[in-house]
Amino acid sequence: MLELENKTVIFMNSEFIILIIKRFISSIIILFLLITFVFILIRLAPGDPSQKYLSSKLSPELIEKVKVSYKLNTSVTEQYFSFIGNFIKGDLGISYNYRKPVTEVISEFLPFTLILSSVSFLIQIILSFFLTILAVKKVNGIFDRFLSKSVIIIYVIPTFVLGVILIYVFSIKWNILPSSGVKSYGNDEKNFFIILFDYLQHLILPVITLSLGGVAVFYKYLRDNITNVYNRTFIDFLRANGYSEREILIHNVIPNAVNPLISVAGIELGLLLSGTLITEIIFSLPGMGRLTMDAILSRDYPLVIGCTLTASVLILLSNFAADLIKAIIDKRFVKGLA
Amino acid sequence: MKKIPAAIICTIIFSVLFCCCQKEMQSENRIVIGISADIESLNPLYSFSVNEGNITELLFLSLVQHDWNDKLGDMEAVPMLAKRWDWAADSSYIVFELRDDVRWSDSIKTDVEDVIFSFDVYSDPVVESRLFGTFKNFYTDKDDHIDLNKTFEILSPNKLKIKFKPNSVPNLFDLDFPIIPRHIYEKVNRKNIQTNVNSNPVTNGPFALVKWERNQSIILIPNKSSFLFNPESIKELIFKIVPDYTSRINQLKNGEIDMTEDVKTDDIQDLKNTGNLEVIPIKGREYDYIGWNNIDFESFHRFKKIIPNKLFGDNKVRIALTMATNRREILEEFLGNYGEIAFSPVTPIFRNAVNTNIKPYDYDINKARKLLSQCGWKDNDNDGILDKGKTKFSFKLIIPSGNPRREYASTILKNNLKQIGIDVKVEKAELGVFIENLYQKNYNAWMAGWSVPIPVELKSYWYSDLERTPLNFVGYQSKEADMIITAIEKEKSRSAKNELYKKFQEKIHLDEPVTFMYWIDNPVAYNKRIQNIDINPIGFIHHCWNWKIKQ
Repeated sequence: MLELENKTVIFMNSEFIILIIKRFISSIIILFLLITFVFILIRLAPGDPSQKYLSSKLSPELIEKVKVSYKLNTSVTEQYFSFIGNFIKGDLGISYNYRKPVTEVISEFLPFTLILSSVSFLIQIILSFFLTILAVKKVNGIFDRFLSKSVIIIYVIPTFVLGVILIYVFSIKWNILPSSGVKSYGNDEKNFFIILFDYLQHLILPVITLSLGGVAVFYKYLRDNITNVYNRTFIDFLRANGYSEREILIHNVIPNAVNPLISVAGIELGLLLSGTLITEIIFSLPGMGRLTMDAILSRDYPLVIGCTLTASVLILLSNFAADLIKAIIDKRFVKGLA
Repeated sequence: MKKIPAAIICTIIFSVLFCCCQKEMQSENRIVIGISADIESLNPLYSFSVNEGNITELLFLSLVQHDWNDKLGDMEAVPMLAKRWDWAADSSYIVFELRDDVRWSDSIKTDVEDVIFSFDVYSDPVVESRLFGTFKNFYTDKDDHIDLNKTFEILSPNKLKIKFKPNSVPNLFDLDFPIIPRHIYEKVNRKNIQTNVNSNPVTNGPFALVKWERNQSIILIPNKSSFLFNPESIKELIFKIVPDYTSRINQLKNGEIDMTEDVKTDDIQDLKNTGNLEVIPIKGREYDYIGWNNIDFESFHRFKKIIPNKLFGDNKVRIALTMATNRREILEEFLGNYGEIAFSPVTPIFRNAVNTNIKPYDYDINKARKLLSQCGWKDNDNDGILDKGKTKFSFKLIIPSGNPRREYASTILKNNLKQIGIDVKVEKAELGVFIENLYQKNYNAWMAGWSVPIPVELKSYWYSDLERTPLNFVGYQSKEADMIITAIEKEKSRSAKNELYKKFQEKIHLDEPVTFMYWIDNPVAYNKRIQNIDINPIGFIHHCWNWKIKQ
């Protein structure tokens, strides 16, 4: 109860609120600089969206007309100020490829990425935690040694190889899971549970592909931290005072061991949310990674900026969430939030 | 209960999922075509890509459609929205009689007003459609917008007369594009036609759109009210977007998709060995070439002055480079002989237009050396690299990144040319950067490819006026070739046109502005359960409303 009250005090603290506001302002500045940088960089890169019109039927007049309609005939500075003016009004422009407002295009692709990333992230955290607890029950035991070797192997397997192996085994050899897409054809009119199962089946292989590397990383972090905490003298002191191993693990070891993991988890979540390109390509998934890559390759400037902005916001938010969690666990970290 | 290990819970969840697993089975009446990228638009005004063109042609009818006549080795027009047509003796006009049984998906009849409106919109400079600027044979204003009053005359609700500009050479290809519904498009401001008409089209073609899920699939069903509807045909046609090639092949093998194109030659035998798959190549629509900049691009940029390129300006040098390139090796080793050596931009599918008297330059290092020597390229300083005056025969060859075929070919070329004393450094460039530099004529040498349009189009690529022909990347200039190209454009007789094509090939073979590498087949793999499939140079989903599923 006392612990909970202490945590509430952290949030009520005026110093904390000021720090949050500072963090918010610094995030806005980071976003602004990032967008400016991406805007200038992509416009200075050779090539422009009119390239997709490359055809023997294309007259020089039409090339010019297309460039004018994309406002490419004005200077980069003019384009930038026009963009910033619209951006402040909340208008990210019209995607050249999709011929729709950028916000509308992103809202079509973002939900899937959010679902896939969140599920994968939860699995990474839960599975790594579960495996670590099992492993540290007997440090250097057979299971611990087996896991330590296995996670290294899993970690070094590139995502595209892992994805292809999983497809080969589960979709081609055993033929029990779909190899691509998010749903089967002709299931739209079936009942809710069939549709739900259908979605889950389609998510199994992508989630495994996306999660295994993260599980390996989290496992290594957690396992090393937990064994380090176990080696500290206060654990012996607690044991000598008659605390059970379970109590020591839950109340002392884990809280001391998770801090570094939270930072890594914040970064990992941010990366997952900003798009998981390779997994999306292998499993033909409609996520932010493919959207961003296609936008860059086809020089869809407004969409590139929109995707960058979305990814940046998600990365900043996830890191901020990680910092908040750390602050709740350890009050000394509040100063670090600024 | 609390003590049940998480592992057991996980196992139960996975077991349930596996038990409930309803593998996506091949439906008896559904055909799934795997494509590598999503389309951008279902609006026929902007269907720039091949897949966009294929799909919009299934949704919207054209006045006529061009089919492949294998006996003729050429295209021929067949009726679609128009049931018959009559040309004036001097080709100054054509009269179309439209079918009276074609309705849009909202039940409104398709009529001559839709046709006139379509010409109006396609040629409107405000719209910037894919066909803007191509209506050269029509009466147009100074902005290339078709003059409707001068061009069209409605003879009856189903009969339309289209008049052409004097001295023009119109043909049915000018009229082969999807007609759009006037009652829908006229409500939209033409400036916003790109954004406002796209995902839920009102159509009149042999298929109708059920759903388009971005980056997932495009689902079509046969249009039962279409005159092309065949009750025994397929019930659903799905274009499934599978960006990864390996995934496409795997899905083809396990039946998740029924058909895909651009199969790598290494996979062909493996696919055939499955027993239920067939692979048939589409011939002659794409060729690779090595571009040798014929002109000095620095002088061209700075002073708009055309002077020959110091390395590649001489046609004998370019012929020598072609002779020194072992194209056969690349064709056999990389393409598994799915293709043929090229010697001109006229595709071999047009059998009557190909000059069979011309033989491609053979791989002959000695002849290449001799030709280079005649042009003054000798290794005077014995450093292994040819030189002429102070110029060494050394250059950068640029290839677009992410194309294994061109990477392989560039390695062969580098080794081949090294044997005759030419130093080649291969560099890769991102596609956007590559294309931009080609437009700017910034490269001395590069390797690229052309997917050739049907009918044969030469002017955009080989005409001397470099301001008007942005696709003439090599800066090729020849008065004789210009005269032939102009004559082809004016010629009405097909046989006379073919003779001119042959003459053009002779000229281009002599000048060798680029090294024509090989025509590349496009192997299409499909499940044998699909019947009535017609794979020809136009494509593989042509006439798919006639496909049937083997019972």
